[in-house]
Amino acid sequence: MTLPLPLSSALAGDEVLSIRDLTASLKRVVDGSYGPLWVRGEVLQCRAPSSGHWYFVLRDAAAQVRCTMWRTYAERAGRPPVDGTEVFALGRPDVYESKGELQFMVTRMLPTSMVGDQQRALEQVKAALDRDGLFDQARKRPLPAYPARVAVVTSTDGAALSDIITVARTRWPSVRLFVLASKVQGDGATAELVAALRRVNRLDVQLCIVGRGGGAREDLAAFNDEAVCRALAAVRVPTVSAVGHETDVTLADLVADVRAATPSAAAELALPDVRAVRRLVGDLGARLAGGLSRRTRLASERLERTGDRMEAAMEVVIARRRQTADRLGAKLDALSPLRVLERGYAVPLNAAGRVLRRRADFHPGDSFTLRVTDGDVAARAE
Amino acid sequence: MSEPSAVAGQAASGPTLAEELARLEEIVRRLEADDLDLDGALALFEQGVACLRSARERLSAAEVRVRTVLEDANGTLRLGKLDG
Repeated sequence: MTLPLPLSSALAGDEVLSIRDLTASLKRVVDGSYGPLWVRGEVLQCRAPSSGHWYFVLRDAAAQVRCTMWRTYAERAGRPPVDGTEVFALGRPDVYESKGELQFMVTRMLPTSMVGDQQRALEQVKAALDRDGLFDQARKRPLPAYPARVAVVTSTDGAALSDIITVARTRWPSVRLFVLASKVQGDGATAELVAALRRVNRLDVQLCIVGRGGGAREDLAAFNDEAVCRALAAVRVPTVSAVGHETDVTLADLVADVRAATPSAAAELALPDVRAVRRLVGDLGARLAGGLSRRTRLASERLERTGDRMEAAMEVVIARRRQTADRLGAKLDALSPLRVLERGYAVPLNAAGRVLRRRADFHPGDSFTLRVTDGDVAARAE
Repeated sequence: MSEPSAVAGQAASGPTLAEELARLEEIVRRLEADDLDLDGALALFEQGVACLRSARERLSAAEVRVRTVLEDANGTLRLGKLDG
């Protein structure tokens, strides 16, 4: 008997995986390909051992999958489902490596019958609110750009409030938060939420955040309640809903002016980033200074232009003066003795340079100088 | 601890930061426009500096203030600290 060729060639190469490599690689593929998702199926072979974890199979007409629900989630779900119950299950697929099995890790489970009743009630409320225009895009108000005082309607027990405070500290530390504590699930939550939302209208605030941390779908009932939705719509300042839930949108989300996925996201949407606002203020300051210096530059340029005109005027004046001076100079020139000499006259001067004007100034034999136009000539009186 | 200024209608109302920044932008815009004499520009500049200072002060607040709002038996709203 000979081995088929592909196997022998595979053995010769390095393409042989260990089982561990195979299941690990499958697990990576599955982990990387699926997020949380809802499936619908019938529960079979449900086991709830003392560990608190639940193990069961979900199947439909065509296929089945093994399911595990860890204790934390099983406790929240209440009692283990009776075999044959049809359910919606939220979870993600996973490969159980050591057994090489595909399984569905369930985090939430709801009987379809219950969902059916809830769904019908929800649709009725939704229709009523819609009829009254509470979902209209036209009534959505813009959020204030720089809210100084913000109301927060939420439970003080959950992470929602501390998440909002944490975001406020980094983004917008000048804000004042007014917390209106309210139950957000269970008995009395609806009435408390309505009362808290009404109180918001008695506060001097610019914005209202209403919400809760993540909860199971059935825990969101208060945010689908008609009275709560109407109280939210009646809040006089813009509202942000923050009903932390990854898959569901509540009616309160639809009524609020802005919907955020989580309380942190609500705070990020509602509060500006102080660093950006400081930059804006800095830019405005720079433009303010720039505007003024430009203005003073214009003024000084105008002054300079005025100065230039004055200088030009002065030059005209000076030129005129110079002309006048030239004319006067010409006249003076005409009167100058040198000009007289030019015309042929001569001036007698004695040795001391004094002008000899009269006969008595001349003594026979005296030497004197005759100044003519181009120099002096020695002369003697006879 | 009671801070009645939290209740609507009782707050000391000055301009909000949004109003102040809008005013500052208006001032800068006018200062950057051409139809302004030096005296007018100086007056605007002074107003702008006041807005700027006030905006900076608002933004310098160091710590978020958190108060709980409680309603007492006769329906009056009171403020409390978060932890009791």
